[in-house]
Amino acid sequence: MRNRTKSVLESIVIAAILLVLAQTFLEDFAVLIGWSWNIRKILLFTGFFFDLFFTGEFLARLYTSVYNGRSARYFFAERGWVDLLASIPLLLLSSGPAVLALLTGGAAVFALGGMLNVLKVVKAVRIARILRLLRVLKLFKQIKYTNSIMAQRHVAKITAMTVSLFVMLLFGGSLVVSMLGLPSVDQVIADRHSQTVERIVSEMPAESREARNWLAEMTDSSDLLLVKRDGTTLFSRFDNRYYTELFGPSDYQYIPREGYDFFFDMRTLGAIQSKDNLIFFVIIVVFVLFLLIYYSPHFALTVTDPIQVMRKGIEDDSYNLEVRIPGRYEDDDVYRLADAYNRVFLPMKDRSRGTTEARSSLLDFDDVKGLLDGE
Amino acid sequence: MNADQDKASLFVKRLLQNPSLKNLTPLLREEQILQFLFVNSRQLHATLSSASFFPGMNWEQISGLLTQALHNEVDNQLMPEIEGLIRDGLDFSFIQFLREQALSQDKVKEKFYSFVASIHEHREARRELSGAYNAAKFHFVDRYIDEAFDRNEYVHFELTKVQRLKMGKEHIKNYIAVSLFLKPAILLLTAPNRQSSGTGGNGTLQLQFIEKAVAVIKEKLAFLPEQVIRSGLFANGSFQEHRSMDATSRIAAVLSGLCKNYRPNMEIDRGADTAEKSWLNVARRNYKFYGYDVKLLDEFYKIAAENGW
Repeated sequence: MRNRTKSVLESIVIAAILLVLAQTFLEDFAVLIGWSWNIRKILLFTGFFFDLFFTGEFLARLYTSVYNGRSARYFFAERGWVDLLASIPLLLLSSGPAVLALLTGGAAVFALGGMLNVLKVVKAVRIARILRLLRVLKLFKQIKYTNSIMAQRHVAKITAMTVSLFVMLLFGGSLVVSMLGLPSVDQVIADRHSQTVERIVSEMPAESREARNWLAEMTDSSDLLLVKRDGTTLFSRFDNRYYTELFGPSDYQYIPREGYDFFFDMRTLGAIQSKDNLIFFVIIVVFVLFLLIYYSPHFALTVTDPIQVMRKGIEDDSYNLEVRIPGRYEDDDVYRLADAYNRVFLPMKDRSRGTTEARSSLLDFDDVKGLLDGE
Repeated sequence: MNADQDKASLFVKRLLQNPSLKNLTPLLREEQILQFLFVNSRQLHATLSSASFFPGMNWEQISGLLTQALHNEVDNQLMPEIEGLIRDGLDFSFIQFLREQALSQDKVKEKFYSFVASIHEHREARRELSGAYNAAKFHFVDRYIDEAFDRNEYVHFELTKVQRLKMGKEHIKNYIAVSLFLKPAILLLTAPNRQSSGTGGNGTLQLQFIEKAVAVIKEKLAFLPEQVIRSGLFANGSFQEHRSMDATSRIAAVLSGLCKNYRPNMEIDRGADTAEKSWLNVARRNYKFYGYDVKLLDEFYKIAAENGW
């Protein structure tokens, strides 16, 4: 019963990992091709739900491991650290603030902005999203792609190391760029918006009608969406329905200045970020698939399969299959050992079977216990 | 049948149905169960001598009951199969190429089956019959001889030029298949434990003993030419000691060894060679020990490797 419950829970986790990978892809894909805000909102809430789910999963696993006195093993050997990085930071830095902002109309984020300022929060959110890619590793450890524990551990370790290093470098690099104020796309766009605001404030005619015409001409190719003065709309690139359908809170930048309210289109930046995320996502998925489809069988073929055949041959009296030695690997240490097994051990075992009748049976006493009890 | 026999029969039936023995031939299943009884005799005796099974019996009595029940169960399944293999699978017309004889296939088959049945009743010989049974049931003779004739190399040369069998391929295949069934007949003349019967510890028998056996068996199988009986019985000898051994004997010796422990539908582990290729390669390395013809093994190994057997 306990095993069955565990198996059901593991199946749910695998399903959740597959779904969250699809969700991660779709969330960025939706931004890139400009899906409506309603769809993106659903994806955002779904992401929040998954972050919550994986945070719960991590805490449950951590609690169980602490309870069983094997927390260090869980955290390091069983890659609990991946569970941690792919759950709590995402909930706190990515989907959590975004959902909170949506539910409170942005008030909570702006309150937090008192400490960090809004732009930095938005940046942290975007950077943290990279950590989602680590969830590929969670899927990886659930797949039993070979019978060999050694092959599983070996390939899983290589994957974990490489993917983690890749994600951490991306995360660290983005963080350094952000902290040091190095030139970035965000900064270039922010500077351009500031220049537009300065120019409008200093050069725009005072009279409303002239101001509208002037704005229409000068904002032809800029990101400016909307300009208001004392609550009156002086310029709007689109109608309200368009804004309602396609714009979410993170899709525009709001700059108040000297009685003016400026709104800029931030979807271009979002699309650039999403494109990068999708490229990273595809790189990691292809890399993991490559390891699963090519490297894992290669490792099994050249290391663990011959070892397993030899182990069976040594342990099982009736097992007399030779190790198949591929010509191009015949000089490998493992295959040289296999050659000795084929040439020396198996013939010797066969001769000894010829002189002393094998006395082991495929039937085990435990196999027939029920038979003996049942009578 | 008394109550104890019923219980033994039921117990054995359920053992035979054990999933661990699923892919084994009946004779191999029988052997596995006998080994199981031997290996676990102490534990089994403790349970089987209880009131629910065979109260008051010692292990020899219980083991005897179970062994008899096991033989009965296996015979019930195996003998009709062997009869079918002989009646439908063998053709004795090759005899006409060896001596002029008016031949009634049905009568010869009936007599031959009776003889094989008598081999089967012998406790040691029935185990050896496994090679002939598997070879016939799974078409080993057909497969290897067809390929050998296509290759037209050592095996073909030995059969047609050295042994000088002036008959077609199908007749030669039947000659070999009959030799395979005759091979265990030699055990009818030995004590239950072969080790005491002049063997070299490797299963091969001394030539003088085989000659004596031929003399005895040919009395029983007067309907078969002597060279066929010699072909079957000399398959128990060593080619190293008897370089003029017939090619059919040498082939029967190899195929009997190859098929003795054959497991149909055996799942080959990743990284392992096939069962036939593995057996033949090990046999090549042990050819002196078992008295096999190494050139014949080489050719069969190549055939197995080329065909993925």
